[in-house]
Amino acid sequence: MADAPKLVNLTVDGKAITAPAGTLLIDACKNAGIEIPSFCYYPGLSVQGACRMCLVKIEKMPKLQTSCTTVVGEGMVVTTENDEIHQARKSMLELVLANHPLDCPVCDAGGQCELQDMTFTYGAAESKFVDIKNHRDEQQWSPVVYFDRPRCILCYRCVRVCGEGMDVWALGIQQRGVSSVIAPNMEDHLECEECGMCIDICPVGALTSGAYRYKTRPWEMNHVATVCTHCGDGCVTTLGVRRSDTGMEIMRGDNRDKSGINGDFLCIKGRYAFDFSKEPERITVPLIRRNSKLEPATWEAAFELIASKLKEVRDRDGGQAIGVIGSNRTTNEENYLLQKFARLVLATNNIDHHRTADYPGFVSALAGTQNMTASMRDVASAPAILLIGNDPTEQHPLLAWQIRNNVRLNKARLYTVNSNQIKLRRQSTVFHLISAGSEGAFAQFLVGNDSAASSVGDPQALNSLRDKLRGEQGLVIAFGSEIRGEHIKPLVQFAQSVGAKLICLGDYANSRGAADMGLYPDLLPGYYPVSQLTGSKDEDWMGKAPKQPGLTLQEMFSAAAGGRLRALYVVGSNPVARYNLDPFALKNTFTVVQDMFLTETATLADVVLPAANAYEKGGTFTNTCGDLQRLQKAGDVTTVKSDFEIIVRIANAMGYDVHGLVPFAPGLRADMGQTRGAESGEADRHKVWLTRQGIEPKLSPFDPLALLDEIQRLVPGYEVSRLNLMAGNDQHTQVPDIGSGELPSHPELIVPSEDTLFTSGTLGRYSKTLNSVMENDRAVPEDAGIPAD
Amino acid sequence: MPILKNIAAIAKGMSITLKEMFAPTVVENYPDGPGPLKGAKFQERFRGVHVLQRDENGLEKCVACFLCAAACPSNCIYIEAAENTAENRISGAERYAKVYNIDYNRCIFCGYCVEACPTDAITHGHGFELATFNASNLVYRKEQLLAPMPAHLGANAVFNKAEIDKGMPALTS
Repeated sequence: MADAPKLVNLTVDGKAITAPAGTLLIDACKNAGIEIPSFCYYPGLSVQGACRMCLVKIEKMPKLQTSCTTVVGEGMVVTTENDEIHQARKSMLELVLANHPLDCPVCDAGGQCELQDMTFTYGAAESKFVDIKNHRDEQQWSPVVYFDRPRCILCYRCVRVCGEGMDVWALGIQQRGVSSVIAPNMEDHLECEECGMCIDICPVGALTSGAYRYKTRPWEMNHVATVCTHCGDGCVTTLGVRRSDTGMEIMRGDNRDKSGINGDFLCIKGRYAFDFSKEPERITVPLIRRNSKLEPATWEAAFELIASKLKEVRDRDGGQAIGVIGSNRTTNEENYLLQKFARLVLATNNIDHHRTADYPGFVSALAGTQNMTASMRDVASAPAILLIGNDPTEQHPLLAWQIRNNVRLNKARLYTVNSNQIKLRRQSTVFHLISAGSEGAFAQFLVGNDSAASSVGDPQALNSLRDKLRGEQGLVIAFGSEIRGEHIKPLVQFAQSVGAKLICLGDYANSRGAADMGLYPDLLPGYYPVSQLTGSKDEDWMGKAPKQPGLTLQEMFSAAAGGRLRALYVVGSNPVARYNLDPFALKNTFTVVQDMFLTETATLADVVLPAANAYEKGGTFTNTCGDLQRLQKAGDVTTVKSDFEIIVRIANAMGYDVHGLVPFAPGLRADMGQTRGAESGEADRHKVWLTRQGIEPKLSPFDPLALLDEIQRLVPGYEVSRLNLMAGNDQHTQVPDIGSGELPSHPELIVPSEDTLFTSGTLGRYSKTLNSVMENDRAVPEDAGIPAD
Repeated sequence: MPILKNIAAIAKGMSITLKEMFAPTVVENYPDGPGPLKGAKFQERFRGVHVLQRDENGLEKCVACFLCAAACPSNCIYIEAAENTAENRISGAERYAKVYNIDYNRCIFCGYCVEACPTDAITHGHGFELATFNASNLVYRKEQLLAPMPAHLGANAVFNKAEIDKGMPALTS
């Protein structure tokens, strides 16, 4: 570690401030609470010095200086606001406005335009220029990017964020001086990652979004910061919502709320792919199969039918004749509730989900060692990163962004071991191409098994790589699903030997949460094996769960084909297509599917329930690193229900006391005197816990936060700060301490989603924006397969 | 002589009455007056039912900037914007109001929308006969608020007739 930089003392507007040597004056002032206006300066991007808005007076310097290019100096005396500076900035604005069209009423940036704000501040509303403005027609560069050239003020933020930030370099500058023009890479259009960062960063309306084009205006919307529902990185996306005739319509996504782990970053999916929620093909009423056709029905009829059938099967054939398949895109609370419902109400351990990473294997390998997992924020500051397998640029765009910027801004060292020439090789200190499928052998090699090297690649290069890695302090290791099963253990051993932290990369928004919440036939929430439940958990509801491990997803389908599985309950998943399972297996199985669309599995169902998506409900998601974040309800479609409510209502229709599932408050309607508080003899564990945490019990059985209380109480690692969580901050969860025992993990069941930047499982299929970009830019990969969740 | 005093008072009063009988009338003969206004007279600046203006080419002036909705203190303006295309050009700028509703249940005729409008698209007309038996009739749609096509474009009669034939109330101004 280098020594901490020397501190420099300077005076700004009569205020004595201190900043580390080398800090830019504009940053030093901002940290001291003094704001200096600027267009071209953007934190984290290289210095441009183009707009001259940040002019300040520095004593002993003859003219005004640009504070974004000036480094703080000892004894500097700075004035950031006086008549001279005000006049200078006003003149700069007049020049900027010389050819800027005054079409604010039409411009999509109107109302959130930095140029508007500056003009209001400096009063440069009048122009001395009489010449006719030089008009150019607006150009469409891609389905999501529009460019209006006269509006451009040439701050070059877009060029820098695209090149430096995204490493795409799709935008450039043509010509020089006043004739400079921002230009796309393909002459008249863009071929890029379509992340939309250039649009978000544009201080004016020169670059605008095709998805939000002319829809509404910023002040007409409510802005809800929630967690993106696509990949497993957990970016915060801010959804602008507006009331519509079917509830609340999501008008746009962006990252106004830069407090998330993604900071400035959002990829195309987080920014544009919310449009599946208003796809006309979306199911909005329950469907029941009558005369072999799915027909619209009421919720009551659907619940009644489901409850009577499930009860009939459970009471006649026992719980083992019922299967439950959970989702990677439902919230932690819903996953927890679903497995609790399966285990208590349906009395079965036949519960599984589409696995995209070997989390049980990971937890098992860690064997309870705490603080060995890295959060997404750690990636942005770690001095060194080892990436094994996966292609983060495609599958974990935020991880790729964190790595890129860490390399660029902090000179972090990136070691990449991959079987493909992935794009992050460009940032890598060492890129080692290995043969496909030898990632596991590489992990063996890392812990000293030199014989494994032969199958991986050049032993000499590998040795030098291993030596370098051994010398790294504070290494973060991210590995894809290529490493699973027995290969995780050597990797963890290596990490322990060098004090590294690990990230196990899973594919969907809440894949980690699904695993943590026990959507496994053999594991309870917190990775407790069902067969060897011990200690205090036994006294809670978990003690009442069946002790026999259930069937995995594939086993359920073969059981159904053999006539042993009489009922199947699928929540937000499409196993038939993903695992290429025999659809006829379900012909004698009563199947309930709750989803947004008629997927391959839903078309086979006897009852289809329209479910809300993650943008339409509250709850929490755990990203692939284990960062817990809060979801907030943004959109709303009045005729659908959240998965949480559907499960509670089915349990209720089956005659189960809902208090046993969701510990909601004793109240007028809820409590008929059955519940006993801590004060009346037998302790109500949940109430005691709530009281100790200073938390009020929730009033509604449909409030997921009521179940979050229980999750925090029963799932180890989730005891994070409630205050921070509710405030929208990400909270890193720890891996539960399961001791040295082996967890049942089925590495053969892991099927990576193989999503690219422009696909996202079922949701991607129904997103018009993603599809339009795909048709435009690159052909769909032939081996893309059919998505599952 | 109190009785004489009383008679004098009555005579004085009746003389005023008599004088007023020959004075010109100041009461408006609404609604029995002549013409489409039925005798109602307006100050030029009277703030009645809004009119969405058209430009000299007959295109709508409104560009759906939502500033009127933002300025509205009673939140009675609802707009949905859409983009003009070459085949379907509605307004002079890049976009137009696909839906423009004013809810006269809520409107307080303050005129802030008119002041906010950057294109002088929304103005106050003189229409005031808003009474209805059904409150939902008071949500006026764009078609009811739009000014008729300029006469030189020759579409005036047809435009109004088509609208009226569709069962919409006639324009009030």
